[in-house]
Amino acid sequence: MTAPLHPEVYAPEADTYLLCETALNECRPGERVLEVGTGSGYIASHLQARAQVVATDISPHAVREAYRAGVAVVRTDLFAGICAPFDLVVFNPPYLPTREDERLDDWLEYALDGGEDGRMVIQRFSREVGRILDQDGRILLLVSSLTGLPEVIGLFEKEGFHSEIIEKRTVFDEDLYVLRITRRPGT
Amino acid sequence: MKRSLLPILCCPVCKGDLELRVARENEEEIVEGTLECRACNVSYPIEEGIPDLLPREPDKG
Repeated sequence: MTAPLHPEVYAPEADTYLLCETALNECRPGERVLEVGTGSGYIASHLQARAQVVATDISPHAVREAYRAGVAVVRTDLFAGICAPFDLVVFNPPYLPTREDERLDDWLEYALDGGEDGRMVIQRFSREVGRILDQDGRILLLVSSLTGLPEVIGLFEKEGFHSEIIEKRTVFDEDLYVLRITRRPGT
Repeated sequence: MKRSLLPILCCPVCKGDLELRVARENEEEIVEGTLECRACNVSYPIEEGIPDLLPREPDKG
């Protein structure tokens, strides 16, 4: 029997499964793949049968869980300590709008907290991801209706990226989307 | 971490190359060691097989 997941690590949920299925369809054999904020390592461990996968997380508990799942994992903020270009970058970001007075001080909270508007981490990601994305690389980003789909698309637009909705699923009171984001030609 | 991971890692602050020092290694991977950024004079630890590239204080001396 395997040990249960650490209580401060996000256990795979509907958003994880949707992004994982989409990534498995999107990923071509042998590609260089980076999963940002891997949490339990669920998605990265499923992708590594067909691609060269590296994963990151900032949480000390998450990196240990991902390591235990057999993932090549690095503890770092987003991809701060990563320098290579990747063909595919997969990210299920912290996206829940969170007010200051709702904030708890633990690592699970950190995995969910998207700041006041839910887009704080996504915005930082959108500004910096160009550094580690191959010229023809693709990003798969999980976005919730709670986070604001048009606003997220707008953030990437501003950084020279084009977004396309490739999956949608409704789960209770939220719609989950997967965006495929690529560089706009000429940028 | 496997040795093959080294070329894709960089200093999280200056993005410069890191120099690997191995303290303990098995057939598969580096279990304990450090990744040093000379430009920043910082050593990032590898513990229980996991490199920790969070920004930290410079080394003393």
